[in-house]
Amino acid sequence: MLRVDATQLLKGVLDLAVLAVLRDEDGYGYDILRRLRAGGLEEVGDASVYGTLRRLFNAGLLNSYVVPSDEGPHRKYYALNEAGRAELQRSGKVWQGFASIMEDLLRERGKA
Amino acid sequence: MNLTAQDEIAVYVEGVRQALAGVPAGIRDELLEDLPEHLAEVLAEGGGSLTERLGPPEAYAAELIASAGIPAAGARPAGGRSRLADQAAETAARHRARLRGFLDRADVRIGPLLGYPKASDFLVLLRPAWWVLRGYLAAMAAAVMLHDHSSPLGLLPRVGGDDFIALLLLTLGILGSVWLGRRTAPAGRWRRRAIRFGSAFLVLFAVIGFFEVDSAAQQDSYQEVSYNGGPFGGLDDVYVYDGQGRLLTGVHLYDQNGSPILLGDGYCYDETGIALFESRAMGYPQCPDTPPFNERGPGAAADPRATPDASPATPDASPAASAASPATPGASSAAPAPSSAAPTVGPSAEASVPAAPR
Repeated sequence: MLRVDATQLLKGVLDLAVLAVLRDEDGYGYDILRRLRAGGLEEVGDASVYGTLRRLFNAGLLNSYVVPSDEGPHRKYYALNEAGRAELQRSGKVWQGFASIMEDLLRERGKA
Repeated sequence: MNLTAQDEIAVYVEGVRQALAGVPAGIRDELLEDLPEHLAEVLAEGGGSLTERLGPPEAYAAELIASAGIPAAGARPAGGRSRLADQAAETAARHRARLRGFLDRADVRIGPLLGYPKASDFLVLLRPAWWVLRGYLAAMAAAVMLHDHSSPLGLLPRVGGDDFIALLLLTLGILGSVWLGRRTAPAGRWRRRAIRFGSAFLVLFAVIGFFEVDSAAQQDSYQEVSYNGGPFGGLDDVYVYDGQGRLLTGVHLYDQNGSPILLGDGYCYDETGIALFESRAMGYPQCPDTPPFNERGPGAAADPRATPDASPATPDASPAASAASPATPGASSAAPAPSSAAPTVGPSAEASVPAAPR
């Protein structure tokens, strides 16, 4: 009945994950996808990241700029703006609170 | 990036586009805007085709809709687009990819002729020159639109014929165009389109303007000589009248050095004034049938023509009459025919007639 699966969980936190990988360095779509996968989110879908970037941009949390590339196509880079940083901080706290509650819950269950 | 990769990307993007048929066009275009570049990155990493890596375009589109936060209306409505339209769109995408591939190859092939790895490397260097030209063309286009035809524009944007305004407009146009060019690429799809459309318009304007100026420059060189210049402007033919007002024909004109004076164009209109034919007259007037003064003086035109006709008749008539000795009635009936010569011929014929029967 109850099945927790990484893909389901990911849906809730992908926004936060994308904001997090953009905290220190701007990136373009495929680059961001690579960072997420390198960070351990192997299941993340290409279209999901692409769509999430679009949505965060439309929500005003990201700025974008185009960088001409010597070989290959021009790349659209995304960067956190002020609103994005504020959102990352706020959501980050919510997630950490939630995660520690879950950890406690799971540990107590384990003890019992 | 080779053609097959371009092809594959174009087809995949088209597949996603079709799956997004239910999404409003503006949102869909925005969603797909960077997709080709993104897919190129995916493909560049290797490891199979796009469909193998990302799943079918329909699944990709569904994931895209879900993650981009677009209402579920994104599901493709039945019969939203016919199969034929789908196929046409796919073919168009393939053609676009092929054209891009062709341009890429031409870029690399033409480059070495110009001394650069790619032709586009060379063209990029010409960009600021294009900005200046574009500014000039924009100023000219504005001037042409504001032009009230009271004074000619020339090659500067002289609105109202004012040189100062022309220079001001020119400066503004060039500065504006360079500013527009120096800005980093505008992210907005519509703004980019607007600039592209405007540039295409200016190029068209420039081509038309160039040919107009060119033909005007060509006309100037012969207009002065043959139409506008000198006291003989508009002269087509010469009619000479003597003291009695008689029109002289076959006249030749010479200057003080004995060189013939050649005037007119050698063509005549017939009586109707419509049909043009080449003159066959020796000397002036080239068109004797259409003199400027139509009323002829008493005997002015009749006399000079009649005299040459009549004079040879005299010597002719007498031998003819003397040879035709028995034909007395014939000779007398022939006599009245040349009207003015009749009295002269008559007696001489009669004089010879009595001698003949003997």
